[in-house]
Amino acid sequence: MIRVEGLSRSYDDGARGKVRVLDGVTLEVPAGQFLAVTGRSGSGKSTLLHVLGGLDSEFSGKVEVAGTALQGLSDAALSRFRNEAVGIVFQSFHLVPGLSSVENVALPSAFAALEAPSSRAKEALERVGLGDKLTRAPEQLSGGERQRVAIARALFHQPKVLLCDEPTGNLDAQTADEVIALFKRLNGEGLTIVAVTHEDRLRNAASRVVSLADGRLS
Amino acid sequence: MKSAALRKLVRLHLSRDRRGAFSSSFGIAIGIASLVFFVALGLGVARVVREKIFPVDASLVEVIPSQLALGLFGGQLDQQAVDRLSALPGVKKAYRKMSVKVPAVSYYDGDFFGRRVRMGVEIVAVGVDPEFVKADVKLGEFVDAGEGQPIPVVGASRLIEIYNKTFAPARSLPQLSATMLVGFSFPIDWNRSFIAATAGGPFTSTRGQVVGVSDRGMLAGITIPLETAKRLNKSNNADAEHFSGVALQADSPSDVPGIVVAVKEMGLRVDDQERRMAENAGAAVAITTSAMALLSALICLLAAFNIAHALSAAVRTREKELGIMRAVGAKRGDIFALVLGEALVLGLAGGVAGTALALAAAAGIDMLAARMVPDFPFKPETFFLVPMWLPALGVGLGLLAAIGGAWLPARRASRIDPARVLAGQGT
Repeated sequence: MIRVEGLSRSYDDGARGKVRVLDGVTLEVPAGQFLAVTGRSGSGKSTLLHVLGGLDSEFSGKVEVAGTALQGLSDAALSRFRNEAVGIVFQSFHLVPGLSSVENVALPSAFAALEAPSSRAKEALERVGLGDKLTRAPEQLSGGERQRVAIARALFHQPKVLLCDEPTGNLDAQTADEVIALFKRLNGEGLTIVAVTHEDRLRNAASRVVSLADGRLS
Repeated sequence: MKSAALRKLVRLHLSRDRRGAFSSSFGIAIGIASLVFFVALGLGVARVVREKIFPVDASLVEVIPSQLALGLFGGQLDQQAVDRLSALPGVKKAYRKMSVKVPAVSYYDGDFFGRRVRMGVEIVAVGVDPEFVKADVKLGEFVDAGEGQPIPVVGASRLIEIYNKTFAPARSLPQLSATMLVGFSFPIDWNRSFIAATAGGPFTSTRGQVVGVSDRGMLAGITIPLETAKRLNKSNNADAEHFSGVALQADSPSDVPGIVVAVKEMGLRVDDQERRMAENAGAAVAITTSAMALLSALICLLAAFNIAHALSAAVRTREKELGIMRAVGAKRGDIFALVLGEALVLGLAGGVAGTALALAAAAGIDMLAARMVPDFPFKPETFFLVPMWLPALGVGLGLLAAIGGAWLPARRASRIDPARVLAGQGT
């Protein structure tokens, strides 16, 4: 499902010059795997996730996700990839204020031709256990509910891969357990999940754990 | 990006910052309102100058004799010169004019449209080829009926306006219209004058009858048929061979400059005093209007800067939101369209409101002028002219100012790096 070969990514960091965040990372994630990527802050975990999610295209090496080779893709092609092939969940939820839960979940449909986006959004919300909070605004939801809305948004297009960047980082222990349980259920339904985390409970829930240090996998 | 989604997101973003949206739109509305107002005022005043005060026919050239007559083609306007003028390239028709050189007065003692009037006025008359004023003749034929018969007279439209707005109110005389005047007759005594020396012979009395009112009528006098003028001059031993002027009708206004050059080469002069006055008045109106329009354009420019500033701030505030849109599939162009769409709504609202404000102000000023400003010659019913294109221009400029102001913020928004803005904490 995911194949990474010799992935490197550097940033120009002013006085410090070029900083290599990822240094020749090679990784293969088969379909249906729940992979946890761990590592210290600044180890390159989030950068790896952004590359896999098509948010960062300035890398060298080969990256293939859900059958799409990401190197050299245009902005339009990368946008389509993000819209259809992957779902991304962030630590901070990033819901759009002023839109209801169902409207937030259907946001990807604004950028793609899709029939009945509302009913698909409702299905996605029911899938994460929020079928009764369709019209709630983000500010009317708890942290865990917000994250579940964000997960439903990531699932809206029924992607093959779910990418999660510290998905439980802003949640209390009980809510984090609920979200992890949701991930396990989704993984059990065949969804490939790559979660960047430094939390033990999420690491323990994963079927495989890899660690990044100084831009290299160990 | 789907248009329905674009509309929804634009509405959402604008509704979140109603005060900012109103402020941006208000700036555009003020600029557009002043622009539309002053352009409409300039066009309206120019129309009054062009059509009422100096109704100059752009394809008409007034030829007059040279001040110094020099021999064979020495600047005199006889029939031979008229024939040569008629043959000039671009000349469609030549209308001769002859001043009546016999002094004349009118003693009026009788009913004047419901008022008894006793007055005496000096009469100045000019004869013209009947074709020259034919379109404005409403009663009978504009031809010489012979000695002793009433003389058909064409009055000047502008003279009626001046009479109505100054003379009539001052003397409590009735207001007149062109229709009322047609058929009115008055006595004329030829070879009499209050101010000039006469030929010494007996005076002859006849009557003049108004048969029409025309923009081409002599302003300070009466216009009569050319043959009548010739007959009067001849019977009083005055020159009846040379014309006091010739009006050349050009095929088109573009032929006028060439005709003017040819006329001057013939040793004749062109009487362009009225045209110059019209041009000067028109230029004064145009300069004033342009200055006000420029000021208005500057207000629009400031409004555009205001929009640029407001949208730049909004884009900074919404970085994460725009980033999440990129993360779920928005292309750079989608984000650009979203920010530009917000500006377009602000520009459209400002343009429409500004145009409406200008039209309302114009209507209000016309109403106030009608009620509170005393009548004066050539006072128009409206000081404004609003052609179809002007409201469209107002709305279009509103949109242009908004797009101009939004362009850089929209470009900046479209280049937001989602990986960077979504990495931190947020909503």
